[in-house]
Amino acid sequence: MSTSAVRRGPFGSAEQGEVPSIRTRLAVTIAGYGALAVATCVLAPLVGSTQISLARVFDRSIPFADNVDAQIFFVARMPRVLSGAVVGAALASAGVVMQALLRNPLATPFTLGVSAGAALGAILVITFSTAVSLGALSPVPLASLGGALLASAIVYGLATRPGRTMSTMVLLLAGVTLNSFFSALILFVQYMADFAQTYRTVRWLMGDLDVGSFGPIVASLPLVLVAFAMFAVLPRSLNLLSVGTDAASTRGVDVGRTQRLAFLSSSLATSAAVSLAGPIGFVGIVVPHLVRLMVGVDHRIVLPASALFGAAFLVGCDLVARTVLAPVEVPVGVVTAMLGGPFFLWLLVRRS
Amino acid sequence: MFLCVVCGQNVFVTLVAQERVATRIVSLVPALTEMLFAVGAGSQVVGVSSYDDFPPEVQSRPRVGALLDPDVERILSLKPDLVLMYGSQTDLQGQFARAGIRVYSYRHGGIGNVLQTIRELGALSGHKVEGDRVTAQLQSRLDAVRTRVRSRPRPRTMLVMGRDAMALRGVYVSAGVGFLHELLDVAGAEDVFADVKREGIQPSNETMIVRAAQVIIELHPGDQPAPDILQKERSVWSLLSSVPAVRNGRVHLLYGGYLMSPGPRLAAAAESLARVLHPDAFVEAGPQVRP
Amino acid sequence: MLRAEAVSFGYAGEPTAFSLADVSVEITPGSLTGLLGPNGCGKTTLLKLLCGVLRPHGGAVTLDDRPLSSFTRRELARHVAVVPQETHPAFDYSAMEMVLMGRHPHLGAFQLEGPSDFAIARESLTVTGTVDLADRNYMTLSGGEKQRVIIASALAQATELLLLDEPTASLDLGYQLEVASLLARLNRERQVTMVLATHDLNLAASLCDRLVLLRGGRVLAQGPTSDVLTGAMVQQLYDVDADVQFHPRAGHLTVIPVSRTR
Repeated sequence: MSTSAVRRGPFGSAEQGEVPSIRTRLAVTIAGYGALAVATCVLAPLVGSTQISLARVFDRSIPFADNVDAQIFFVARMPRVLSGAVVGAALASAGVVMQALLRNPLATPFTLGVSAGAALGAILVITFSTAVSLGALSPVPLASLGGALLASAIVYGLATRPGRTMSTMVLLLAGVTLNSFFSALILFVQYMADFAQTYRTVRWLMGDLDVGSFGPIVASLPLVLVAFAMFAVLPRSLNLLSVGTDAASTRGVDVGRTQRLAFLSSSLATSAAVSLAGPIGFVGIVVPHLVRLMVGVDHRIVLPASALFGAAFLVGCDLVARTVLAPVEVPVGVVTAMLGGPFFLWLLVRRS
Repeated sequence: MFLCVVCGQNVFVTLVAQERVATRIVSLVPALTEMLFAVGAGSQVVGVSSYDDFPPEVQSRPRVGALLDPDVERILSLKPDLVLMYGSQTDLQGQFARAGIRVYSYRHGGIGNVLQTIRELGALSGHKVEGDRVTAQLQSRLDAVRTRVRSRPRPRTMLVMGRDAMALRGVYVSAGVGFLHELLDVAGAEDVFADVKREGIQPSNETMIVRAAQVIIELHPGDQPAPDILQKERSVWSLLSSVPAVRNGRVHLLYGGYLMSPGPRLAAAAESLARVLHPDAFVEAGPQVRP
Repeated sequence: MLRAEAVSFGYAGEPTAFSLADVSVEITPGSLTGLLGPNGCGKTTLLKLLCGVLRPHGGAVTLDDRPLSSFTRRELARHVAVVPQETHPAFDYSAMEMVLMGRHPHLGAFQLEGPSDFAIARESLTVTGTVDLADRNYMTLSGGEKQRVIIASALAQATELLLLDEPTASLDLGYQLEVASLLARLNRERQVTMVLATHDLNLAASLCDRLVLLRGGRVLAQGPTSDVLTGAMVQQLYDVDADVQFHPRAGHLTVIPVSRTR
């Protein structure tokens, strides 16, 4: 008999008539995961391939330009940790929402082609950089954002039928098609790139949180905040939607509106994340699964918990990426993949 | 019967007792095309790669593809008797060997490899004397640069080969192996990444802060942009304000195809590097004549 | 009063299968109506039209003389609940969580379930005999248990109308009787108006006081069970020669198929 026959939440098995109130569970979960996220973000900049002294970092008597420890802390590590938190939270939440929308626990934020669009935008600019000049704006994040939004718009256009609900089948097919098509275009562009461009493209595809300054993070915030505002109204509807579109409809959910909100919010969050740091895989699928193992499947708890745990998770992975083989840096996408793969193997083995 | 001769890093496959001069040469490697023209074999070049752009005469030659997409049919239609290609294009080598066409296979290496290759191409194209002469000239010009800056302190230098436009991301730098690394040495500098035994790496901001280069040189293959763009591109480095190169204003952006070409223009590249590293050594020399 | 007036519906690409033409049906409050007919006759389509999941191409469905299209989904969900033939949640919700989903139309946008919602949910589980399964993973329950949990979920919606699609199709004989008596009890004690689509003639005979017979997307006959359920009608509906008799011990009409007549 499967061990999941009797569900145990964080409070153990509930006695009859003693279901822990959702409010309590929600409060405890957010407090717990929030503390984890904050602790990770505070501690991560202190650790790295170079020893730094906290005393020196905050020593005001040394001018900033001379204070190497402070430079490492504030220029190299802090922006990196913050972008890790934002990207981790965005991708994990987008993953939760995608899985509910597509009614499939194996869905990821990249299932519907967003990251392929972003990758195409980035590689076009990296390869043809002399032909593209946007004045003082850095073209790679802008182009990858543009590509991501374009891919989302195409899938949305294909799957939306005015006045009717989205067909998850069409969504999936459109996403898979777009992924294939854009991947082919990417290969074609890569064909025309020289060695250095190819190297930089491949490196971009592995993810890079090393933003160096707070500017790019601040620039991505509007999109991320809009996405999270949309996430906030979704959870209960996602519960019902994940049982079935008719089942949700007959229980009072405006299915079309919920699907559109879910698709848009997830696409926005993913687009922002990928344009900031490249397509970092596995966060959007490992984190929701891990969180569900710990807090159950109610989206009202899973969504905020995943956002917070996602932030901590990615910051943690980046920490490993920049220290495990120091001074060589492993791309963060490689670390998440190396954790994600075995995790899924273990899940599979456990289920059988 | 085929005889494989290994000279240094390069291999050429030739039919025994058929040591003729190559008169119709197709080159898939831009640096090798340059070398052929430099040794006076330009008129024997009948086909060039898609990336060739120097000397100007290559514009008139048919294009036959490059590393990933060599157009075998096109190459064969030009009836070459010698094809210059990359060492990694092993399938292609096999194809031409079966067609009875001589192949010269090239692998990237240091300055020594470049000089060796010029000599070999000179011999293959029937310009052995010019080949040796060009090589000697190149060597002596490199030696001249080395001598000029010999007694000066060697600054720790980071040589940047690529970077995302307008941002300090995707920074790709030359490391401890290859001709760029050796050029830096000739030009009188210490490579901050000399200990990394690879041709290139992408260091993080933290790494760049810690390595604390005294000079940063960026190499760009294209044309120099407008002054305001140039200034903005330079200013992305101000993010790493503790790096000595940034603090002392020793961030240099150099533009020109010759800077990253492992061929006859190496000496010019070395000189350009030396001029930004040790400007005082070139005061009486007048401005550089760039190829 | 739920009414379908001359509704017609067709699925794109399927010109005649599962479609309806000119169907008028009246569901009076407190009644237990059965929709009967062979596969493809449009029973499930009619059910979906009656709960507003599908919109008719022609005609209209009204609830208390208001067209369904004038209701918001939330409003409508407070009047009509549906028990579908199958439910496959994508995640491991517990039986209690499945039942609590029925409270959705009664909760504000950010409102969490309160003690009264839990009480209603627990009561619904008790009434369907599934309260011991509250913390069990829904997907691990047996067919009968699942069906009863979904009925509990619909009950928790506290509606005056309950629509069911083949409620006993996947159940053992014992559970069939159990669910049938449960539905009868709910109809009697709580005045829940019910419409059930079924191909089980005997279930319909035992449970329903009114029947709508559908064939080829059209109404063949509708009215009180005793009037409508005759051998002639069964013959027209299924091309089957059957014996329709009142069974004294069971207390209702029974249908015994004898032979095919095509």
